[in-house]
Parts: sequence; structure tokens; C-alpha cells
Amino acid sequence: MNFSKKIVLAEDNSILSTLLKFKLEKEGYKLLIASNGKEAVDLIENNNPDMILTDIMMPFISGLEVISHVRNKLEMTTPIVVFSSAGQEEMVLNAFNLGATDFMSKPFSPNELIIRIKRLLQ
Amino acid sequence: MIEFFQNSIDTFNNTHHIIQLCILLTLLLIAAIIFSLLYLKNLRDRLKIKGRIESTYQKKYASDLIEYLYSADGENINPEQQKKVDYLTKCAQNPLKRKIIIKTFLKLRNEISGETADAIQNLYYQTELIKSASAKLKGKKWDAIARAIKELTQFEIKETHDEIILLINHPKKEVRNEIQKYLVKLFRFDGLEFLDVLESQLSEWDQIQLLEILNKFDNPHIPNLGKWLASENKSVVSFAIKLAKLYNQFNVKDDIINLFEHHDPEIRIQAISVVSHLGIYEAVSILKNNLFNRNLDEQIAFFKMMEDMSTPDEMDFIREFVNHENFYIRISAMKILNLITVDTDNTFRININDTELIIDNVLTKAS
Repeated sequence: MNFSKKIVLAEDNSILSTLLKFKLEKEGYKLLIASNGKEAVDLIENNNPDMILTDIMMPFISGLEVISHVRNKLEMTTPIVVFSSAGQEEMVLNAFNLGATDFMSKPFSPNELIIRIKRLLQ
Repeated sequence: MIEFFQNSIDTFNNTHHIIQLCILLTLLLIAAIIFSLLYLKNLRDRLKIKGRIESTYQKKYASDLIEYLYSADGENINPEQQKKVDYLTKCAQNPLKRKIIIKTFLKLRNEISGETADAIQNLYYQTELIKSASAKLKGKKWDAIARAIKELTQFEIKETHDEIILLINHPKKEVRNEIQKYLVKLFRFDGLEFLDVLESQLSEWDQIQLLEILNKFDNPHIPNLGKWLASENKSVVSFAIKLAKLYNQFNVKDDIINLFEHHDPEIRIQAISVVSHLGIYEAVSILKNNLFNRNLDEQIAFFKMMEDMSTPDEMDFIREFVNHENFYIRISAMKILNLITVDTDNTFRININDTELIIDNVLTKAS
């Protein structure tokens, strides 16, 4: 049933992306992986995902710019979960101001992420 | 062609010695430049190849790691996982491959927590990478020791504690710094036990780093700071005062009072400064009694502390310092008097005889 639910993951750590891809596909979601903000924007525009997971610090286009693009240019209400690292508290606040739905601080538990995704996609 | 070379050699032989030297130096320089260019090209090619090999192996090990984690179906290791463990253990015998495996593990472990992070730690044990890190601790190269301790910290390996604590007084600062971070990150406040045996000085930066790590832990269980406040090591005493202040350790008030007579003036000043934060009122009379025997910085620290600790009974004592020759003491004394006389009389009155301060009533009314 969940296979129709598409999630775009913007994350520059390829190992983390692959792990999350395995975990989320096991749960029945379809994961589209972008290794930078630019790829994420292209995937979002072409696939109209049900959810977006994005890291804040990424090459070319940051997570904040991705959120801004989704909310202001594409005018999408898709839930956006932001991954932040220690010391990026200010950026998380900016992400919420731009329209992020939720955030997870790295290091995070993949199982906890799955629970949050399920809750947000209910 | 031969004639050209013969003519060149003849011309060279007939020229002045200085010109000959210049020509030789130029040729030598050209040879050196050509050699350097060839060497750099070779180095660049080798680094490129090494980078490509590392990238290929990293992809392979990342895939193995994911497969290991994904194939987990319970607490016990299954045959598929065991196959991966055996393969990675074999690869880890090679130093370059071991380095790439560790880098790959850490790349994921630094980003995740919970069960998956624990599984990576288990894999670190199973692939016997812990053995190579422990072996490096016994080596002579300080940089290898520091890297091994950092690796053990990142994988949160507590078993090597006894081996690591033995190196706490290592001559290299970098090793000591890694040990301190290892102990505090993994053993929290209990890890501060290294302060008992530390012989070298903890720099301000080291102290800041340790406090930052400790600050992340909830429900702090602070050990007794008394022994560190009485330490022979000045930096340990300074760090213990900071801990007492940060975690409001009022129970060490007697140790703080003892520090007023410490041989180092900086410690005495630090101890005086912490009195107001901990509210040690009995310290005020002790300091007052021998204030004139203390140096100027201690006196300034005393008055700064009194800004928060003074009571109306001390008004006469403080008033004596209103005209003190030191600006900071004078300002503090005035501040204190202003605070403690707020409900009685106004200490600072406008001198109505001073013509410059009289408000021109006529002008005021006119405006």
C-alpha cells in the first residue's frame, strides 16, 4: 500500500543514504536519493514526492534553499524533515521559519526516523 | 651536429670562469626543474591511483557494511553476516584496507545512533579491529597512539581503559589530549579520575573541551572535588574550581576557603571570584581580615565578589574604599554602597553648591 508513497532523500553521505534506502524500502516506501541540493530540487520537481528528507549542509544547494524552493517557488505542502548536526541550532530555526515540518538531530536512530515518517504520512 | 657540440664546448672552454659557472648553474637548475616536474607528475599519478583504489574499496566496504546491517534478523549473528565478518577480518590484515574499513564504518557511525550504531560497534569487535588499535597503544610512534585512541573513542570501546590510562602522562600533548577526551566521552564524570594522576598542565583550551563534553550529559553525577581542589597541579585546581562553579558544588566551600592561601595568585583570585557564585558568606570575613596583605588583583576580585555578597553591616568597611587609588576598587565600593543604602539614605548626593550642576530653572521653564 505504501509503495505509492515516494520520499526524496537529500543527503551527501552515500552510506547513510543507502542504509536509509534499504530500511525505508523494507517498510514499503519508494526512496529517491539525491546527493546534493540541486539533484534534490530536480527530483522533487519531477516526481512530486509525498515527503522530503533533507540534510542542512549539502554541496551546491543547501537544505535551507531546498525548503525555500519547495515552499515558495513550487508552493508544495509536502512534509519536510530536516537532518541537523550539533551546532546547527540556528539553521534548524531558520529551517522551521522557511516551512520545515520536523527535524532530527544527527546522530539519529533510523528506527526513530521510520516512526516519524509513518506518523507524518498518516 | 657533432661540429655544433664541439664548437659549443670550445666556446665554453674559452669563456671567462664566471660565465662558465653561470652556465653550469643554469644547466643544473634546468635539470632540477625537469627532475621536480617529473617527480611531481609521478606523485600526482600515484596519488590519483591511490585515491581511485581507496574510492573503489570504500564503495565495496560500504556495500558490505550495509549488507551486514541489513541482513541482521536477531541478536545472534547469522551465516550471511558471518561471511561478511570473515571477509572484512581478512581484508583488515592489510594496513591500507584496514584504514579504509575504519573510515567507512565511522562515516556511518558518526551519523546514526541506536541499534544500528551498536551493530557497527559489534562489527568492529568481530573484525578484530580492536586488536590493531590496542597494539598501536603499545607502539613508540606518538601519532599512531593518538590516532588509535581517537578511533577507540569514536567506536566507544571501553575495554581499553586500563591500557589507555597508563599513558595519561605521555610526553606528547596530542596523546594526552586524546586520552582526556576518551575518558570523559566514554566514562563521563567518572572519567575525570585522570585528574588524580595528571602531572602535566591542562591548558585552558583542554579545560574548555572537557567542560563542553561534560555539558552534554544529563543528570550529572559530580564526584567529590575536594581532592582536586587540594591538588599539587595548578591546572587541576583551576579546573576543579570551574567544575564547582558550573555544577554549584556548595559542599566544597571549605576547600575553596583553603585556596585563599594557595601559593599561586591566579588560583587565589579564581577562588575569591567563585565565592559569590556559591554564596559562601563565611569567606567574606576571612578575606576582610587580611585584605591589606593581598595583592591588588586579589583586592579587586574581593570587591567584585562583594558587589553580590555585601550586607548593610559592612557599610563602614566599604566606605573606607570609596576614595581608593585604584579605579576598579573605587567603582566597586561605590556600587556596593549604592546597593546596600538604597533603603536608608542616598550615599551619592548632588553637590548643590557646584554651579555646573545647578539646573537653570529659567531656561527649563522657557523651553
